[in-house]
Amino acid sequence: MPSLLVIMIFLPAIAAVALLLLDPQATAVRARWVALLATVATFLVSWGVAAQFLALPQVSETARGPVHPQLVQRHTWLDLSQAGPHSPGVKLEFFLGLDGISLSLVLLTTILTISSVLVSWTAIKDRAAQFYACLLILETGLIGVFCSFDILLFYVFFEFTLIPLFFLVGIWGGPLRRYAAGKFFVYTLAGSLITLLGLVSLVVTTVQANPGLTTPFSIPDLANTLAEHPLTPTVQFTLFLMIAAGFMVKVPLFPFHTWLPLAHVEAPTAGSVLLAGVLLKLGTYGFLRMLLPMLPDACLHTGLPLIGAMASIGIIYGSFCALSQNDIKKLVAYSSVAHLGFCMLGLFALNIEGISGGVLQMINHGLSTGALFCIVGMFYERYHTRQLNELGGLATKLPLMGVAMVFTSFASIGLPGLNGFVGEFLCLAGMFRAGDGQGVIFSALGAMGVVLGAWYLLGVVQHAFFGPVHLPAEHHGPGHEPIADLNAREVAALAPLLGLCLILGLFPQPLLDLIRPDVEAVAKLYGNVRATNPNAFMHASLNNHASQKNLPSVALGSEVRP
Amino acid sequence: MNAAIQQLNNAFSLIAPEAVLLAAVCLIFFAAPFLVNERGEAPVGLRHRWGCLSLLALLLASCVWWQSPPVTRTLGPFVLDELTWYIRGLTLTFGAILVLLHWNQADDARSAESHACLLAILAGVNLIAASNDLVGLFVALELVSIPTYLFLLLPRRDAPAQEATLKYFLLSIFSSAIVLFGMSYLYGATGTTNLSGIHAAFSAASDHRANPLVAVATVMLIAGLGFRLTAVPFHFYAPDVFQGAPTSAAAMLSFVPKIAGFVALLRLMVPATGAEQAMNPWTMTPAAIPLLWWLAVATMFVGNLMALMQTDIRRLLAYSSVSHAGYMMVGLIVGMAHEHQKADVLATVSPNSVSGIGAMLFYLAVYGAMTLGTFAVLIAAARTDKRIESFDDLSGLSRTRPAMALLLAIFLFSLAGLPPTAGFLGKLNLFFAAWSQGTVEGQESYKWLAVILAINAALGAWYYLKIIGVMFLREPINRSQQDTVIETPSLIAAGLCLVGTLGLFFLPGWLWVPIQSIMP
Repeated sequence: MPSLLVIMIFLPAIAAVALLLLDPQATAVRARWVALLATVATFLVSWGVAAQFLALPQVSETARGPVHPQLVQRHTWLDLSQAGPHSPGVKLEFFLGLDGISLSLVLLTTILTISSVLVSWTAIKDRAAQFYACLLILETGLIGVFCSFDILLFYVFFEFTLIPLFFLVGIWGGPLRRYAAGKFFVYTLAGSLITLLGLVSLVVTTVQANPGLTTPFSIPDLANTLAEHPLTPTVQFTLFLMIAAGFMVKVPLFPFHTWLPLAHVEAPTAGSVLLAGVLLKLGTYGFLRMLLPMLPDACLHTGLPLIGAMASIGIIYGSFCALSQNDIKKLVAYSSVAHLGFCMLGLFALNIEGISGGVLQMINHGLSTGALFCIVGMFYERYHTRQLNELGGLATKLPLMGVAMVFTSFASIGLPGLNGFVGEFLCLAGMFRAGDGQGVIFSALGAMGVVLGAWYLLGVVQHAFFGPVHLPAEHHGPGHEPIADLNAREVAALAPLLGLCLILGLFPQPLLDLIRPDVEAVAKLYGNVRATNPNAFMHASLNNHASQKNLPSVALGSEVRP
Repeated sequence: MNAAIQQLNNAFSLIAPEAVLLAAVCLIFFAAPFLVNERGEAPVGLRHRWGCLSLLALLLASCVWWQSPPVTRTLGPFVLDELTWYIRGLTLTFGAILVLLHWNQADDARSAESHACLLAILAGVNLIAASNDLVGLFVALELVSIPTYLFLLLPRRDAPAQEATLKYFLLSIFSSAIVLFGMSYLYGATGTTNLSGIHAAFSAASDHRANPLVAVATVMLIAGLGFRLTAVPFHFYAPDVFQGAPTSAAAMLSFVPKIAGFVALLRLMVPATGAEQAMNPWTMTPAAIPLLWWLAVATMFVGNLMALMQTDIRRLLAYSSVSHAGYMMVGLIVGMAHEHQKADVLATVSPNSVSGIGAMLFYLAVYGAMTLGTFAVLIAAARTDKRIESFDDLSGLSRTRPAMALLLAIFLFSLAGLPPTAGFLGKLNLFFAAWSQGTVEGQESYKWLAVILAINAALGAWYYLKIIGVMFLREPINRSQQDTVIETPSLIAAGLCLVGTLGLFFLPGWLWVPIQSIMP
């Protein structure tokens, strides 16, 4: 009997294969019910896994390394040491597991997939079985990335997600779909090949320095080894740039973001939801998993200024681009560039507040932007336009949608009481105290992005949803149902996302508690790195002191910390 | 005299699988004319019998191969070691797939001869792997080339096929002459034609000056064998021949000559005995490595960049096979550099790196599965009146024949090196080998090789993706369901290749363990 974790990863793929093999000509009706069933089942299994995870005893801080997965499943994939006397003593593994960070992202994935099945319900009529199969295979890939703790297995899932998304964008996308799918694919593939080279060289370098390490591809073991025997700063610098290349494209950081608006605009709604909601997180997750624990020196001395600058430019640039868009979907796509900038600012603050803010922001952005794309898809289905100048007063015609849009926009802007606020606040607060002063500049620039974010999103709300009614003709095309407000299915797609936005905004503590041990373990490395520099030591200890005492309790787990 | 006969008798046991294949070849050539009448007509369905006979011969040879002990034995002109064993397994397995691909490609009357040629080619490749003598090696190389001319021409005798054959013929004899020229220099430098003797002479050479004779021989041999590998600039025939030749012949050309070329290079340049010739300039390695380095870089870039511009599927696959030859050359170079190191350096690097030659041999098998699979689908998806030539012929294949499109997509993703296919692991091993070698002091150029490999993998993905895009993202162009043929043998072949492509991803140890035992 495979464990619940394995079932959770492969259940969607099995459903997809069944859908394709048993009934390739399935009608849209049957295919979507199968898909809904499979995604709901996966969601339930993921809660089962979460329950298993939470039932585990706490791991003491001394017993764990920087990365410490639980519910571990390890099977040898290729054991090179058994192959012969002259073969290398390393092995690749199918190494699955979970820690707090990956668990929260897995749950985000399973929830968003249900929503994306629901928003495709009537929009996808052509080749429906194949569409849902792609969606389900994509879900397997995404969950797999978050659950793998072997570098190669991580990379395998990471790359594998490109294939279903290529088909989703390329077959069911908008008018420029073929170009968009190709550009997206080749752009991200080129980046991640450099990452692969970087990862290979990281492993080779580490093994040559520590010949005793027989499982260098295992992320926890590698991180432990590197924590004890760090590489020299120059080596770290090169490796950092190589490994970061693919993740920078994926996040996407300015100036590697050009594939994103195109792919978002052309993708079908479900594709956009998963692309924004989860796929972009693969990049940030990669930074968090591969770079922060492995190469502390480079992250601190290269990563902080470099990524900080790229992220803050991305926030400002993405926001201005969003401001000037007429196509609402493109606007939301550019807002993703800005929001992911916050996320990266948080991660590269390299302290507890920042990293937890970054993780939180990953979840928040997944929920709020996912919901925004759902809403955009919904009115596009009704009016066949997304142009701001062709829409006006939607809220009078579709009051429920108006409510959802206002709510989601507020969540996305970061209104206190909703989730965006907590995440953005922590990211900026973390960055503010990072990097000996340069963090102040980055977070000041980032804070400007919050204002700009309010400007462009409220602009959409004001223009399209309120103001004078100005809508395209209702009766367009034969066989089109009369335009009505959100139906039960659409409410079911949006309600969980919006509900979670509210819950996480009011009670972020449980989520922060879930990720805290893992975040602390990573942040601890940076305490050490700073401590080796006597000038920075006072500063760092002050920081730690401050973070334990003075921060608002709504945002931090500091009060319950022992 | 008696001793010589005794030696030949003993040597015969070393090449038993090839003997089985060649016996089958003789049988087919002898029997076939009796079954065809004066007007050149044969009973309908005769080709099935010849196909079955070829498969039977391959099966028999495989049994003999499987029984043969994998211990190193050297007897006169032949050598039997793990490399021979591995290459035999490779050719026999993929030979069966090629027979299946070729099943319906030749008509009943000409099927016999073309099947016999295919078997002879396979026997030739095996003999290359088993040869321990320059003369034997050359004869084996010719045993591959001469039946290839017939194999290209027999199934189709229209103008394009004739042109393709003629081009291949002329360039092939040219390259054979160059190989022979190189071999003569090698003989001149060492005074023996025996390969073990040559390597012994190299390691015995005490003066540490490079020998110009050996350098000339190296250049000649690489140039001549580069033709078989389709290494740039010896690749010019490939696109034209692939385009004009029958599909099964193109499939054969994309794979079998590459085994032949790489094994011949391995036999010539890497001694079976290992590192005792370390750092001896009196070998072919010092001249070969820079030459192969530049050839590999040119091969990868030219192959991929030219493939980007093609609109004909076969020409595209020809350039793709050029680029894959470049990837495998990376493995060969890294492996040769690794073998060439001083023992103390070797000790620091060796324990944790993947051997370049091992990576190359792994990639060879994986490449066989994915490229033959691609051709198998092209044969199986053809229409009665027209084979698949341009992109338009594949347009919308996912609508008309979804399973076929999915199969082809898997093979193409594997060629592009994406998980979860064996192509990914193949490229990964090459990266791993090249990068490990590049970390050695003074050998940073291999790191660049790894970087160039990565760039080319990204370039390559673009045109494989283009084909997938045509199949999945476009609408069919006037294809109806009726005029499709059922090509059971090709479908079986594609299925086998699929098992290889996916299976080697999940269970790479199955192939990796025998490969690791090859390297000294």
